[in-house]
Amino acid sequence: MAIIPGSGDRVETGTALLPEAPPGAVDTAAPASKPHGLLRRGWEVFAENKLALVSLGVIVFMVLFCFVGPHIYHTDQVHTNLSQTLCPPGGQHLLGCDNLGYDQVGRLMVGGQTSLEVGVAAAIVAVLIGTLYGAFSGFIGGPVDSFLMRIVDAGLSIPYIMVIVILSVVFRPSPLVMIFIIAVFYWLGVARLVRGETLSLRTREYVQAVKVVGGGSTRAIVRHIVPNAIGTIIVQGTFAVADSIIILAGLGFLGLGVQAPATDWGNMLSGGLQYIQSGTNYWWLIYPAGLAIIITCIAFNFIGDALRDAFETRLQRR
Amino acid sequence: MTKFLIRRTLQAILVLFLVTVFTLALVHLFPGGPIRSLLGPRATAQQVAHYNQLYGFDQPFYIQYFKWVGQILHGNLGFSAKLNQSVTSLIAQDLPKTVILVVLGTVVSLVFGIPLGLYQAVRRYTAGDYVLTGVSFLGYATPTFFVGLLLVEWFSIDVHLFPPFAPQGQTVGSILSQPRALILPVLAYSFVLYALWSRYMRSSVMDNLVQDYVRTARAKGASERRVLWVHIFRNSLVAIVTLLGLSLPTLVAGAIFIEVVFNYPGMGLAFYNAALQVDYQVLLGFTLIATLATIVGNLLADIGYAVLDPRVRYN
Amino acid sequence: MAPLLQIDNLRTDIRLKRSTVHAVDDISLYVDPGETLGIVGESGCGKTMTALSIMNLLPTGGSIVGGSIRLNDKDISKLSDEDLRHVRGNEIGMIFQDPLTSLNPTMTVGRQIAEAVQLHRDVTKEQAMDRAAEVLDLVGMPRARERINEYPHQFSGGMRQRVMIAMALACDPKLLIADEPTTALDVTIQKQILELIDDLRQQLGMSVMLVTHDLGVIAGRADRVVVMYAGKIAESTSTSTLFANPRHPYTEALFHALPEKAAETRERLLSIPGLPPDLTNPPAGCRFAPRCRYATDRCRSEGPVLRGEQPDHQYSCFYPVGQAERGELPVVSVTEVKPAPAVATPAAETLLSAQHLVKDFAVTKGAVMQRRVGSVSAVADVSFEIGRGQTLGLVGESGCGKTTVGRLLVGLESLTSGAITYEGKDLSKSSGREYRRERRKIQLMFQDSYSSLDPRMRAGAILREPLVVQGIGNRAEQRKKVEEILGQVGLPLSAVDRYPHEFSGGQRQRLGFARALILSPSLIVADEPVSALDVSIQAQVLNLMRDLQRELGLTYLFISHDLSVVRYLSTRIGVMYLGKLVEVGPADEVYLTPAHPYTRGLIDSAPVADPQAEQAKEERGVRGELPSAIHPPSGCRFRTRCPLAQEICAEVEPPMNTFSMNGHAAACHFPLQPVVTAQTSTSATAQ
Repeated sequence: MAIIPGSGDRVETGTALLPEAPPGAVDTAAPASKPHGLLRRGWEVFAENKLALVSLGVIVFMVLFCFVGPHIYHTDQVHTNLSQTLCPPGGQHLLGCDNLGYDQVGRLMVGGQTSLEVGVAAAIVAVLIGTLYGAFSGFIGGPVDSFLMRIVDAGLSIPYIMVIVILSVVFRPSPLVMIFIIAVFYWLGVARLVRGETLSLRTREYVQAVKVVGGGSTRAIVRHIVPNAIGTIIVQGTFAVADSIIILAGLGFLGLGVQAPATDWGNMLSGGLQYIQSGTNYWWLIYPAGLAIIITCIAFNFIGDALRDAFETRLQRR
Repeated sequence: MTKFLIRRTLQAILVLFLVTVFTLALVHLFPGGPIRSLLGPRATAQQVAHYNQLYGFDQPFYIQYFKWVGQILHGNLGFSAKLNQSVTSLIAQDLPKTVILVVLGTVVSLVFGIPLGLYQAVRRYTAGDYVLTGVSFLGYATPTFFVGLLLVEWFSIDVHLFPPFAPQGQTVGSILSQPRALILPVLAYSFVLYALWSRYMRSSVMDNLVQDYVRTARAKGASERRVLWVHIFRNSLVAIVTLLGLSLPTLVAGAIFIEVVFNYPGMGLAFYNAALQVDYQVLLGFTLIATLATIVGNLLADIGYAVLDPRVRYN
Repeated sequence: MAPLLQIDNLRTDIRLKRSTVHAVDDISLYVDPGETLGIVGESGCGKTMTALSIMNLLPTGGSIVGGSIRLNDKDISKLSDEDLRHVRGNEIGMIFQDPLTSLNPTMTVGRQIAEAVQLHRDVTKEQAMDRAAEVLDLVGMPRARERINEYPHQFSGGMRQRVMIAMALACDPKLLIADEPTTALDVTIQKQILELIDDLRQQLGMSVMLVTHDLGVIAGRADRVVVMYAGKIAESTSTSTLFANPRHPYTEALFHALPEKAAETRERLLSIPGLPPDLTNPPAGCRFAPRCRYATDRCRSEGPVLRGEQPDHQYSCFYPVGQAERGELPVVSVTEVKPAPAVATPAAETLLSAQHLVKDFAVTKGAVMQRRVGSVSAVADVSFEIGRGQTLGLVGESGCGKTTVGRLLVGLESLTSGAITYEGKDLSKSSGREYRRERRKIQLMFQDSYSSLDPRMRAGAILREPLVVQGIGNRAEQRKKVEEILGQVGLPLSAVDRYPHEFSGGQRQRLGFARALILSPSLIVADEPVSALDVSIQAQVLNLMRDLQRELGLTYLFISHDLSVVRYLSTRIGVMYLGKLVEVGPADEVYLTPAHPYTRGLIDSAPVADPQAEQAKEERGVRGELPSAIHPPSGCRFRTRCPLAQEICAEVEPPMNTFSMNGHAAACHFPLQPVVTAQTSTSATAQ
């Protein structure tokens, strides 16, 4: 499971160097810089970090490819065509056909739709549940918090792959079911993270300041804790999408994911496995789907990394 | 220190309790109950009822639970009808082989991950760092099974260097007697892990490099080498040790996928086959064992953390 | 006699991502054998960078770009890293500000000290550990031989700093560089450490370079001083001359910004307007010119060089202040201690009365679930009164409970027992809406302005929030109020759209103050409001607080560890120790005629910017360490460190005795002042 640490660009000076304010400021003059909103800040991330910008482009391309593609490049993804099984790339079939005669490019598109839909949806569901659970637990504190976290610990102790496999066996997998199966394990990690964040934010002085002026807990959570935790949550969500796509691919590869004629990128690769083990070289069964997974996930990871760096440095710029 | 150990062990036991409850509940998720999945959709209601009674599935949950726990404590993890073997014997047979794969794979990943992570931190922002960072990102974005597929494609099919299958055989001995066939599975297994360790090591060392105590060490006249190895390395290792203990779920997942790709006769492959056959006794028994391993792993991670960081010990 | 260390024209740059900071710009100084040189200045002046440059311990991106550093006539700035290592820890030792982060947490203290020895001497491991124990003993660590096997986090702050000193001195260096060595420590511990450094200097025949922002420390410990500003030297001379006859306007302004100078008269402090310049793009001309009251056009265009009538008093100014010296030191008059006027302070109407406040915090242990095994009495029966329009200054060191008292008053902590009466009404009795309304009247100014302002909210929203919460006014009216408050605290209207990180430290404190003011409270609890600020900025904020107090009739509970600041601003002072209020009374009385030995010790330990006065207080201070708060000493909590302690102090908790008609009281069996029993019952005795 990918828990990606930051690129480590912490502020590298141990001692205070800089004087306190922008150049030449007499103390009563206001510093000169533009006001920032969350969206504006998010956009700035892409402006500064070229890699993130490229990654965003990659994802946009993928989405277009998978969802708009089929309207341009027509293939039959429902009926098998046994006369053209395993046809090599070329001519009518740019990337060849698989063992049931489906055109690979079309398969990529259809599989991509599933992979992306389930990936994003599972990430959103998991992050939503995890955030609510974790924030509540962290804010309540005390024995309730301890108990809730024990449950999370217990859940995290069961190897997730086994849970997911068993659930896939029990329930008939459709994309909707897959979303829940993946989310049902992934939310645990998110909950723990958000709880940690909430705990640390709860003791911040600006949260306590709300109480001093007569405000209540609701206000403290909604107006102060959540906006300050959003950064972490968004970063988590981005990584969650990449992780979900990989998990789904794993299931698909094992044959436990969506069933034919639907497919996902991982499922496409299970076909490749058979032929690998027989020693024959049907490379078009392997590379396209695999590269699709890798490229999409790397893109999400880069974006997540860039967002994380952006949120961290923002707070460190004193 | 003992107090700390006792406290952690008690916590682990509580977690184990919760886990067993979950796992049993999982059984009851099977539509129609566990018996139906065992007998198949064509079993009659009578047969189902008969077996329900035989296996005690018609009793209230908590009674089932206690019976089941009693069973487990006696070493009886169930019986696989499909394989005609007790789950325990299946584990005894396959676990050692999986352990070989996991241990070899983890060792390889650490052998590369820790030094390279250190190197990346010391030579940060150089070309070497960026290249290795790219490799790490690949490791995060590539599913383990795909790494396996690629390695077979490249080194077995394109270039006939290694066999596309893992060593076959029932015993550990037969596995180890075919080292050539072990190389690809082990390498595939270790790739994603390598990415994890090296990234964490890099991060941890970079954090430590700017700490005040490093400046103090330099002020005493310590060489950069000494500062790195005597001071920073040890403190960075703490992160890795904790991570290692917590990574069991990842290790298990890797085992399943690699064993399927390479047809490696270990617990992972057995689990997969059990899933295809809906052999739920095997599925649950394996899950329980793997969970136990995870909990023990967490405990060891905590102990390791306490050994390496005295602030945890003396508190 | 050639100097031990000679720095000539040193220039150090720090390369950042997009700019370069010229942190040290042409500094020349020297240190003679056996003397203490003080380098003083505010944050950003380059003093720490100068110190780090000597052994090239600069942070990433830092490098020496010019000048020479000669140790015994050998230029060490040109040495290779390997050769420089022979100097570090061997010929020059260095200690840093924060002993907790400066020690390796996973290595025993003994090993860390022994490492210093092993790096430079050819000894066995046992011999190195022996030396470690020996040197640890030398720095005053009790039971040194046992404690060398413990880890840094098992020591208190003062003890950790002793470990650092031991490490720096293990190889008998000729020079000890101390970079803000006591800033992170309590005042009483600070005195112990500074005295230790001084003693060791004499014992070992060492020189010391003392870098600090605290003029009082300089006055007491340095033989000569260098004043730095914006990367350059402003003035350099002997300590006595500097305080007697400062020539550079910056030095003069610094002195006048000190609250202790205005303590007697309580007049406005001279605050230096503006901020230090940005060193990535230093201005042409004199760097202090934008803030100097005597600046002329020449100052703004031409950069002055160091010069002076006497070779040992140099300053960089075209129009120096003070007296020209013709070879004789000007005569310095000792600050006279005026006895407190025997006038009863006018009995003000009591605004807030705190009776027997107790606050316990649970100490928990537990395997699976937490359970309570004991408690810490952070506040253990504290009673006091605050008169309307007055300021009660609550002073004490870490762990004394003063912050907790403040938090109890504003409702951030709940009372374990006791009562708080405000305007006659018992606060604990009201609830719900009435409680919220009462809460408006007592507001809090937080210590750390950075963490007390939500970084995601703009200043305008932060200030509006209290109004929104209390349901005061509509949006337009709230806006107006916000603008009004901004004007009162001296912030421009454009501040409403800025985020907290865009303000300077002093501006943020004003913002925090504005937020405390916006509900028009009558009582403001100010928790260490100026502790993190430089002297010149501190003066601005103190003036602001003082002015607004007069204008709006505010009442303050001023919490601080800094006695001089407290004395300046307070009508009455309360001294706390380990959860108890040990002395309380009119500010001048408590400061000039303290009754409790701890107060006396506190006053003696706090460095004042007056060399004469500092010399006079040689031996006094408070010895020992702060006892555990979980198991405080029986009877009088101060007895373990008190020079006057007797048996009765361990058995009976001392009662509050009074010492004047003005409500000066202290809890001690053997007070330093004669007890005065109240014969007339009019004065409000603090009970």
